[in-house]
Amino acid sequence: MKKTKKIVVISLLISLGLVLHLVESFFPLSAVVPGAKLGLANIVSLIAISLFGFGAAFQVVIFRVVLGSLLAGTFMTINFYLSFSGGILSFLLMYLAYYFFKEYFSLIGISIIGAVAHNTAQITAAYFIIANRGIFYYLPFLVLLALPTGFGVGLVSFFTLKHLPYSITGGNFNDQKSK
Amino acid sequence: MKINDILTLYDKILIGFVIILSLILLLIPFYYFGSPAEGEELILKVQQGDELIKTVAVADSYDEPIVFEVEGPIGIHTIEVNQGRVRVQEAPADDPLKICEKTGWVDREGPIIVCVPNSLSLWLESTNSDIDGMSW
Repeated sequence: MKKTKKIVVISLLISLGLVLHLVESFFPLSAVVPGAKLGLANIVSLIAISLFGFGAAFQVVIFRVVLGSLLAGTFMTINFYLSFSGGILSFLLMYLAYYFFKEYFSLIGISIIGAVAHNTAQITAAYFIIANRGIFYYLPFLVLLALPTGFGVGLVSFFTLKHLPYSITGGNFNDQKSK
Repeated sequence: MKINDILTLYDKILIGFVIILSLILLLIPFYYFGSPAEGEELILKVQQGDELIKTVAVADSYDEPIVFEVEGPIGIHTIEVNQGRVRVQEAPADDPLKICEKTGWVDREGPIIVCVPNSLSLWLESTNSDIDGMSW
């Protein structure tokens, strides 16, 4: 893929991630379990990982988190650190899982790994701030909820990659069959 | 295309593992708290950072609701104790997610209400339990 085209696709993914981040806030999952969310922005991270590998996907994640918090007015506040820690840890684990275990896990499994890592990182970061171990009470609920949301996110990424035109994927995914 | 064409065996193992792990984690609070015994009284503890700033006996709230305010870096929380239950009545306007307000009423040991931006946490504790919220 040409360099210009790559830059355009990356910036499209970033803006898609920002919009999904916004759409996500319309679903008040926090009323069910405090701190829960759909993790729709993970769709873009997954697509970026499987299209470009580490460098570009890392850019997508960093820019999404920083720009998202700038737009929401929470840059450099505690909410920013929470979403930053969750975003980075889930990205790293998803990348490692994709890089080393691509033959074993489908995108659904990788997305579930990312969702669980996101919740664990956020709860741990929150624990360091409020210094109350009782917050881990919510961890199993969040992890259970991460299963359906991670499943959905993985499925969306899978079908998105499947239907992307050949010029973007380079034919890597159009005929992809999972074992 | 069926879902089984996409899911791999290792995906299913992963899903099963996560379910079992979280179910085990779910049972831990039951082991610690159990069911409330007779004559047990609940007290509300409010903590900011690692400092306990307020304790309220929940039994006092049956006659009339107790409402008090806690101040933090991003604003003032209004906390209401009413009929043996507790909630954050109003979170500060600067709190973008307002998770503590959305948590709603808490009437037993176990769940805690947290406001991470204000490093505030409040939870109910039984007077005759030998462990406290910090010990698990």
